[in-house]
Amino acid sequence: MNFSMTEEQLMLKDSVAKYLQDTYSAEHRVNILKQTRGYSAENWQTFADLGWLTVPFAEEDGGFGGNISDVSIIMEEFGSALVIEPFWSGVVLAGQLIARSNNDSLKKHLMPTLMSGEQLVSFAFLEPQSVFMLNHLTTTATKVGDNYLLSGEKRVVLNATADSILIPARTAGDGSSEQGISLFLVDANGPGLQRDVYRLMDGQLAMDIRFDGIQVSSARMLTAEGEAFPLISEVVSEALVALCAEAVGAMNHLYKATADYCRTREQFGVAIGTFQALQHRIVDMFMATEQCRSLLMRAQCSILDGSSDIQRDVAALKVMIGKHGRHVAEEAVQLHGGMGMSNEMPIGIYLKRLMMIDSYLGNKDHHRRQFCKLRYCA
Amino acid sequence: MHTKLSHQELAFQEDVRVFMRENFTPELAEKIAHPATFKSATIEWQKRLDSRGWAANGWPEEHGGGAWSATQKYIYCNELAAVGAPDVIPMGIKMLGPVLYSYGSEEQKQKFLPATKSSDMWWCQGYSEVGAGSDLAALKTRAVRDGDDYIVNGAKIWTTYAQYADWIFCLVKTSDEGRPQGCISFLLIDMKTPGISVSPIISIDEEHHLNEVHFENVRIPVGNRIGEENQGWTYAKALLTYERTAIAGVAYCKHTLEKVRKLASQGGEESLSLLDDVDFQARLADVEIEFMALEFLELRVLSSIDNGEAPGMESSLLKLKGSEVQQLVQTLLWDIAGSSGGMVPDMHDAKALWECQGNVARREYMFGRAATIYGGSNEVQRNIIAKYALGL
Repeated sequence: MNFSMTEEQLMLKDSVAKYLQDTYSAEHRVNILKQTRGYSAENWQTFADLGWLTVPFAEEDGGFGGNISDVSIIMEEFGSALVIEPFWSGVVLAGQLIARSNNDSLKKHLMPTLMSGEQLVSFAFLEPQSVFMLNHLTTTATKVGDNYLLSGEKRVVLNATADSILIPARTAGDGSSEQGISLFLVDANGPGLQRDVYRLMDGQLAMDIRFDGIQVSSARMLTAEGEAFPLISEVVSEALVALCAEAVGAMNHLYKATADYCRTREQFGVAIGTFQALQHRIVDMFMATEQCRSLLMRAQCSILDGSSDIQRDVAALKVMIGKHGRHVAEEAVQLHGGMGMSNEMPIGIYLKRLMMIDSYLGNKDHHRRQFCKLRYCA
Repeated sequence: MHTKLSHQELAFQEDVRVFMRENFTPELAEKIAHPATFKSATIEWQKRLDSRGWAANGWPEEHGGGAWSATQKYIYCNELAAVGAPDVIPMGIKMLGPVLYSYGSEEQKQKFLPATKSSDMWWCQGYSEVGAGSDLAALKTRAVRDGDDYIVNGAKIWTTYAQYADWIFCLVKTSDEGRPQGCISFLLIDMKTPGISVSPIISIDEEHHLNEVHFENVRIPVGNRIGEENQGWTYAKALLTYERTAIAGVAYCKHTLEKVRKLASQGGEESLSLLDDVDFQARLADVEIEFMALEFLELRVLSSIDNGEAPGMESSLLKLKGSEVQQLVQTLLWDIAGSSGGMVPDMHDAKALWECQGNVARREYMFGRAATIYGGSNEVQRNIIAKYALGL
């Protein structure tokens, strides 16, 4: 048993934290959001230059060879600073789907460009009817010669400026079967892809896409036909842990910022942080954060140990992050009073980000159902 | 970061498992659960643990302890929980032990450590008083120097198992100069000393765990004082952090949650078990998830102690969360029992009545309300965290 960070991990944490502290202020973030891309291309290039985009990938693919702990270290710092760049959607989620696929020629061609920051991919995991179930797919892929014709609809595809999109589609099986799901890499700007772009409340640029019979070469299929679900499921489990690490970073920031604010804000002639009623609420924010951190470590250990409880531990983590994450942010708004309501302070942005984190890949209610299924219906 | 067990650790786990199976017999479990046989059976159980060197597993080796790592403690507690076996009564081995080997004189160590470890000396804790609960420093029991003795007068309250104890460790007032914290000394008192009387307090579980201990001109040798006069607060504070670590009740929660799951799978409405009910599942899941986090919080605390860091803030956190989760689990247990959770059989009634789930659930729920009060109430713990961790 060991929970300590390695020397290398401490260095990674320090370097990410220091970079963000020096450059990633709340104003900086506001300025980025004014740009149409939804994130800073310049920052993205810096992330690439610093090697961060290679962290999750295997050394033989030219990556850093990091594991879920390393990725979580970056994500936690990103959460603390509210980094908007699409590291999670592009590297942790879509990047890992490609890196762990067995389409070697596609991988060989694409991975270097992902790690250098030239290309960005997004994974379109949500359909209008799927309600968080990754296997509830109605998008179809019909084989015609060497190509497939894809038809369907995907909602809230993150990073609307991605160069390509990973689209899961049915090559066989009915509505909720885990068999018969294939994963295709589709040009995001290709003909026949109808895009409705909008902004999400956490600042990201997302889109709904529709396509009817767009043609995709079988060379751009990530696994053997119909066998993509295990890959998706494995990558999504780890991506959920990384996303929760971001949430823990955000929660950690919030309880500290709230304590700082209450130490300096005076009413009735004293700092409001001297009031016990407020102190205990901040302590509960701190405790909720630490509970989440404990489950985050538990889920990481599960993955690193190759435990048979990975799914249960990840579901438990996502439930708690959904519940406590939003609660901590709501408390932060309340204790900041009017300032918590103002868009001038970033407190509300943390609330919005934590709410969106809850919604991604299954919210707390969904994951509680999954947890119950695994634990009580076996 | 990992939780994989090494070969030695796996071997240790197997060793503990076999021991529990062979030694924590149903007969012994039954005797421990019954008030009439609780004391003798508990001593017997603790002596069995001590025969393997497991009773004082956290003590340093030089004092006969096991000097266990965090991992070993974790494995051990899990195996205890798996069969529902109790850990040692904490007052002597877990709470006083560390104070004795850290601050006691050589003579005191020789006199008290071996007997405490072997459970031949049963300890109780004399801290709280009528006017000194959360504000412990306001205590009034006084020890006045008279030659080589102290004369002690006053009373302690909420003293758990004083009726069984051979000795009591007490905080007493030895001065009126300066801050109250600097006026307190730490005394070890033989319960057989003339002038001591114990009166029972029946708690809301209808049982007798708690007592009031009165001291009337009780003569105690100065040699029974730990460390310096008026420095007792410092020693007690160190002890409190150990107490908080010890009372998180993680193993107990694990065992009780297992019991809840088992009971819920047995009966319910309309031929479905309670565990098939999605509302109940959701409720149980919420508690189990809090527990899973608590379990890892304890591992984090244990491993930071292993790394030589004193248990500080985390121990307050562990006490807070542990006691809250205990109560959540006990509430589930009581709710499952339905109206039979209201039954109050006399301890001399039929065994079946005493052991019935309703009675167990009621007793655990009622006495469990104390968990957020003792060891520094949860409100005080929140004050401590606000001050030391959040700078408020």
